[in-house]
This record gives sequence, structure tokens and C-alpha cells, in this order.
Amino acid sequence: MTNVELETGGSVWKVLTKVGDKVAAGDVLFILEVMKMEVPYEAPVAGEIMAVHIAEGEVVEEEQVAMEISG
Amino acid sequence: MTWKEETDEIVRRRELALEQGGAESIAKHHGKGKLTIRERINKLLDPDSFEEVGPTAGAGNYDENGELISLDPANFVLGFGTVDGRRIIVGGEDFTMRGGSPSPAGLRKSVYAEELAVQYKLPLVRLHEGSGGSVGGTGGKGQNLPGPVNAPARFRSVAEAMATVPVATAALGAVAGLPAGRLVASHFSVMSKATAQILTAGPAVVERAMGEKKTKEELGGWKVHTKNGTVDNGAENEEACLAEIRRFLSFMPDNIEQLAPVIECDDPIERTDEALLDIVPKDRRQAFDMRRIIHTVMDENSFFEMGAGYGRSQITGLARLNGQVVGVWGNNCKFLAGSMTTDGAQKARRFMELCETFSLPIVSLVDEPGFMIGSQAEREATIRHGTAAVLTAAMTTVPWASVMIRRSFGVAQAAHYGPEGFVLAWPSAESGPLPVEGGVAVAFQREIAAAPDPEARRKELEEELAAKQSPFPRAEAFGVHDLIDPRQTRPELCRWIDRIQPLLPALLGKANFSIRP
Repeated sequence: MTNVELETGGSVWKVLTKVGDKVAAGDVLFILEVMKMEVPYEAPVAGEIMAVHIAEGEVVEEEQVAMEISG
Repeated sequence: MTWKEETDEIVRRRELALEQGGAESIAKHHGKGKLTIRERINKLLDPDSFEEVGPTAGAGNYDENGELISLDPANFVLGFGTVDGRRIIVGGEDFTMRGGSPSPAGLRKSVYAEELAVQYKLPLVRLHEGSGGSVGGTGGKGQNLPGPVNAPARFRSVAEAMATVPVATAALGAVAGLPAGRLVASHFSVMSKATAQILTAGPAVVERAMGEKKTKEELGGWKVHTKNGTVDNGAENEEACLAEIRRFLSFMPDNIEQLAPVIECDDPIERTDEALLDIVPKDRRQAFDMRRIIHTVMDENSFFEMGAGYGRSQITGLARLNGQVVGVWGNNCKFLAGSMTTDGAQKARRFMELCETFSLPIVSLVDEPGFMIGSQAEREATIRHGTAAVLTAAMTTVPWASVMIRRSFGVAQAAHYGPEGFVLAWPSAESGPLPVEGGVAVAFQREIAAAPDPEARRKELEEELAAKQSPFPRAEAFGVHDLIDPRQTRPELCRWIDRIQPLLPALLGKANFSIRP
């Protein structure tokens, strides 16, 4: 299981994947808005999305686990 | 009558010293996956180049006839040696004896490391694994007598070394107390993720004083210290740390009186990269990869990043342009929009001080939205540390080339330009007192609120103002030396580095200000 952790705080602009989705390494999982910039987060590994802990519009914090990917 | 007996005795003492803490202690050390100090030194240096200083220093144990039974060698190994053919000073604690806590002779040799480097004007490499003094003292006779009031300032040589020669240090095991202080008093420091921890004080002291129960790794492992800037880099293991130190030294002159070494460059200076034409998205909200720009503009594979784990909104490192060394600094818009945070500013300041100390020209790739804002930024005194970076830039004497890649805003942008610097702008450059997104909201607050569709009016105003921040009017006003096709960045910078060569010799010697940890 691989956790996708947030590098900074910000707000969640778009969540592009949901639980059960299969992703390849490098696929964009979600996009954060930080200081008026879009910050895409890519899948570090290939696998299935096992959990999503963020929602669009939510204000999030540094080091928060956003998603969990099998593999 | 010859001196054979005595020369045999010298040989015997040298052999005894090589036994370090003894076979059992060395086996235990190896068992933890760690190299001994002598192995570390040999792996760092060119083969057979180590010339040891004080190999027979230590504490002798004698029988009743005054015959030497055994020798406890000084637990700090020190000497000269070469890295890629260039002489350096290298030293480190021997953890197989007293856990690296200094013995009397060990302490003398350890303190001598900086003095030797300053005297011989040679780069200093310290390979640390050890702790500071012990409450019981260093264990020698008379050692518990406090030092005289007129003793030379203990840390003077540590500071002098930083102002005179390149200092690179690795933490290869647990490093605490004095060695931890010396570790960070470096121009480049790296810690082994597999074996090192850095501790102001270890778990036992912390638990006693603070009631906090933590392991060495939790207190001072790489996850803590590569993120807070205690060390510049983390490397997988000891060998990788030594490789990073060799790499760092390859960019550095031997001392402040020399220029950095120039190497043959087989990467064409006219090489252009088509990818630069659209690497910066037209949509200002979309980020781009500054490291990708650095890699393609600099000589192939020459970029050596320092401090990637902390102050992550700023990217700093060393690289080459047509074989000549430059310091490289760029903003990372993927992290807090590339803004000047407190730790980013500290990292940038130290980077500029490194360049100033060793007369390294600076290439600055600018995408600066301004100081980081918000309550956390206020709590971290961002404006003070950020301004320190701005004033450091203003006081540098090394040549600068600044390329306006995208944003260049506020007070913070001034940190990215040196006095009399060469300034180029990409078509994507925007500059002004503050980014339109924030600026419009403040300056047109009432007008936006009064509009029938405030959100639409805000966007309209932002577009109008963004147009005014374009680089074309700036170029017309001779506000930049030139507006360039991004693909021409490497050729432009290679011509610049050639032009500034005659300026460099005059910069040698003591800098107006030097680097501090």
C-alpha cells in the first residue's frame, strides 16, 4: 500500500480518481490549489485506488494522506 | 649501534594504532552495517593517497618495566589525501573506541582538522560519527582541570575554515554534541539515511530533561533533518554520502584565493531544446518544472542540487556552463507557488554566501511570486528572513545572470537579481509590485464589490492588468538586457559566462561577508 501525502497545505481543486480506479504511475490523481497555482499530484506507483481522504473544495494540510494506492 | 630497536618500536606502534578499537569492536561496528573510519577515508580518497597525520598519537599502556603493552590510538583519524587528484584534508572519529567520544589525543587531532585545512589552504572533509565530551571528561590525567581563561576561542578555527576553504561533512552514524555542531558548520553536508542520526542531545538526555521518550531515529533521523535544513542532502548509505562529497568538491576551488576548476565541455554551447518553447504554460495557474529547465540549460548532467528536501520553494545547486562552475538558483512553482518562505529564504541566503565566499557566478532563474503569506508565514518571521535574502543579494560582488522565466514580484523578487547583473526575460515573464491575482482584489476592492457581477469584473481587471505586466514594455524601456526566445537560454548564458571571466580574478580572497551555518 502506498500513501499519497500532501507536500503543502492548500485547497482541493479537482479530484480526478475514485476508489476502485486502476491507475498507472504518473497518472494525475487530484489537483490542489496552492497560492493560486494548480498543483497536480501524480500516482507514485501503478495500482488500484483503495481510499480517498480528500474532497473537492476541502482545505487540506501538509503531510495529510490524500489517497491510498495498492502496490 | 643503530636505532633499529626504536624504529621497530615505531613500526609496532603504527601497527597497534591500526587495530583501532580491536577486532571485536570492529566486528560489532560492521555488524551494524557501518564502515570504520579508516574504511570511510579509503573509500573517499583516491587509492593509496592517504597521508596520515599523527598516526601514533594515543594513550600507551606500559608494564612495570616501562615496556609498551598496548596502545589506545587517538580516536580521531586525520590526514592529507587526494580526491580526483586534488589534495584535501580528511578526518573523522573512530567509533570503535569510546563510541567516538573524544579521548585526549583524539580531541587534539579533531580540533587540528580545521587548523590544518586553513594553514594548508586545502578543502576539509569531515566524516562524523561520534558524540561530544563525556561528563567523566576525556579520561586522561589532569584532563579534568578546566581550561585557562586565555585559551584561544575554541570555534574560531571552525569559522575560519568556512571563510577560507570548502568544508564538506558527512554524518555516517549517530552524531551528537560537538561533532553535530561541526557537521553543520559546512558548505555542504550530507547524512546517510541507512546509518546516521544527528542529535543535539541523545534520547537519554532528552528523556531526563524533557520527559520526551523518542528513539534516535525519531529525534534526529534523515526524515527530520533533510526537511529542516540541518543537513543539505540525504543519501541512501555511506558510500552514496562519500560520492556526494566527491561531487561537491569537483565544483569547488581549493580555497578562496583560487577560481573554481574549469573542465572540458563536450556539450555544445549552441545546443537548444525545443521543449523550452512551451514548457511554461500560458495559463498562469498551471505550474511547470523548473528543474527540467535547469537541466537542459546547464551542461549535460552537471547540475548538483543541494538542499532539495527543505526550503522546497527554492531550488539551489552547483552546475557548469561550458565547463565553468556556476551557482544555480531557481524557484519551484510546484511548491507553495515558489514563494519566498522562511526556510526557502535561509537556504537562498546560504547559497548566495557560498557563491560569494568562493567567487562563483550566480545564474538565477526567476519565478518569484513574493514572500509567502498567511498566518503560518507570519509566525515564521518570513518578512525578516526574506529580507535577509534580499539584502544578501544586494551585497554580493559576484557576477549574476538572471533570467525572468515567469513571475517576478514584490520585495522578494529583488533577491533574485545581483548588482550590475545581466538580465534576460522570456516572453512568459511577468513583473510588478504584486501578482494580479492578489493585487486586483486589494486595489479594486470597492469597484469589484459594486459591480453587477463582482467575479466577472475581478477577472476582467486581472486580465487587463496582466497584459500590462508583459515583458515587451519592459524591454522597450530597456528594463532588461534582452527579451529572448527561451530556446536561446543556454547559448545566451554560455556567452555570458565567457564574457565575465575577466571579472573573476579580482574577486578572489576574503569575501565582504562569508557563510555561516
